[in-house]
Amino acid sequence: MIDQETIGLLLKGVNGVTWQSLVMIGISFVLFYLAIAKDYEPLLLLPIGAGCLLANLPLSPLVASDGMLKVLYDMGVGNEMFPLLIFIGIGALTDFGPLLENPKFVLLGAAGQFGIFLTLLLALLLGFTTNEAASIGIIGAIDGPTSIYVSGILAPHMLGPITVAAYSYMSLVPIIMPPVVYFLTTKQERAIRMPYSSRKISRRTRILFPIIVIALVGTLVPFATPLIGMLMLGNLMKESGVVERLTKASSNEIANAVTLFLGLAIGSTMVGTDFLKPSTLFILVLGLLAFGLDCAAGVLFAKVLNWITGGKVNPIIGAAGISAFPMAARVCQRIAQEEDFENFLLMHAMGANAAGQVASVVAGGVVLALMGAGG
Amino acid sequence: MENIAWGLQMTVLGMGLVFALLALLWLLLTLILKLDKEPEVEVSAQEATIEAERIAAIADDAVGAQTPERPTVNGMPADLVAAILVATHKHRKTMRRQAAPLVRIAWPGSQIFASRWLATGRARQNNNWQPRGK
Repeated sequence: MIDQETIGLLLKGVNGVTWQSLVMIGISFVLFYLAIAKDYEPLLLLPIGAGCLLANLPLSPLVASDGMLKVLYDMGVGNEMFPLLIFIGIGALTDFGPLLENPKFVLLGAAGQFGIFLTLLLALLLGFTTNEAASIGIIGAIDGPTSIYVSGILAPHMLGPITVAAYSYMSLVPIIMPPVVYFLTTKQERAIRMPYSSRKISRRTRILFPIIVIALVGTLVPFATPLIGMLMLGNLMKESGVVERLTKASSNEIANAVTLFLGLAIGSTMVGTDFLKPSTLFILVLGLLAFGLDCAAGVLFAKVLNWITGGKVNPIIGAAGISAFPMAARVCQRIAQEEDFENFLLMHAMGANAAGQVASVVAGGVVLALMGAGG
Repeated sequence: MENIAWGLQMTVLGMGLVFALLALLWLLLTLILKLDKEPEVEVSAQEATIEAERIAAIADDAVGAQTPERPTVNGMPADLVAAILVATHKHRKTMRRQAAPLVRIAWPGSQIFASRWLATGRARQNNNWQPRGK
């Protein structure tokens, strides 16, 4: 006989549906839409959407204490391993040649981190704690793994919205960056042509670069060692050319597997009761502001360089001093060509962009150092 | 208010540290490049852009800097297939236009697309080959 208890058991799933879980399932659909229909960072937004959907289904066993998503979170996000593994792959795929040809552009990367600290101030004004404010500010690094690493240490409860914001804004570089550049530059400035000079970068220099960066940054900002260490390890493997199998594995198989696990684990943190708070909206808005401020600071700093050099630096490349490599550089090139079709800035912008990658990791380490965390 | 003062300190100290570290890196890189003793050569913007595109294409594969996989048609990139299709179509149109007089797409006697044979005949009719005055 089917009694009341059996019916109750059968309807346990339906009874477990809450309005929060329904909203989160809706949000997972939005993430699927962005990934599939709009091609916005599909490799990350699709697994994050899947993790979000699976975690918000009623009584989901996947987020129970021994559920797969919980295990994945503990395995690689809770202890910061996944973002670091991804950094090895990024290092193995990044050519710092444009930066080595023009080392002065490293300063544009530094200027591009200004948004982190201004956003931190704004977050403090809105009533966030110091740790939370620093985690929100780090979205301004426009660097997914750095954002995950820093916020995972400082404010793990905000990891979901911060990761979604960081990766969404990374994919929105072509939409967010141009208005800032147009607002801060004149037509004449955007049309400035920059001369190119190339020099052969020896294999010795290419190998020395990651070693020096690890030693320098690791000594002066020990909290940045995990981030910069893994990024430069990948680059050292690539430039040495002696461990091709490891380089390929890091940039393909390992990076792909870790991306899937990371996306699912991050998505599983987006549980309705924790995610649907006014603070999430603030995080998304402040992250967007951080990105805009980064671009603005970069452009203004490039304008200063332009003034110092007597009109030889196109201020557009300042906006590329963020970590979204090489998309930011490509957007700068596109903006320049809208003014003057025969203006080729890509190589200079790539230099600033590569500097932005190093600078964002350094900024992440500096934030951790100043907060006294992550050691 | 205390928090804001702390935040301002963080901003000044943080940005100062980031700039100082990267300036030091700039200095070190300049020194290493001096050791290389490689001369700087002027290159054209196009050459530099081609090299930059090559570097960017590799970095596009990085996770987080991902561009979506390009659509394919039977294993070939879709844009390549489209380009081949357009080229084939254009070639076909050109061939048809050139072959038109031979295959007589126009009615015999038409003024358009006259064959060489017809054109020669018309020219002969218009030009009198008889010596003048006879």
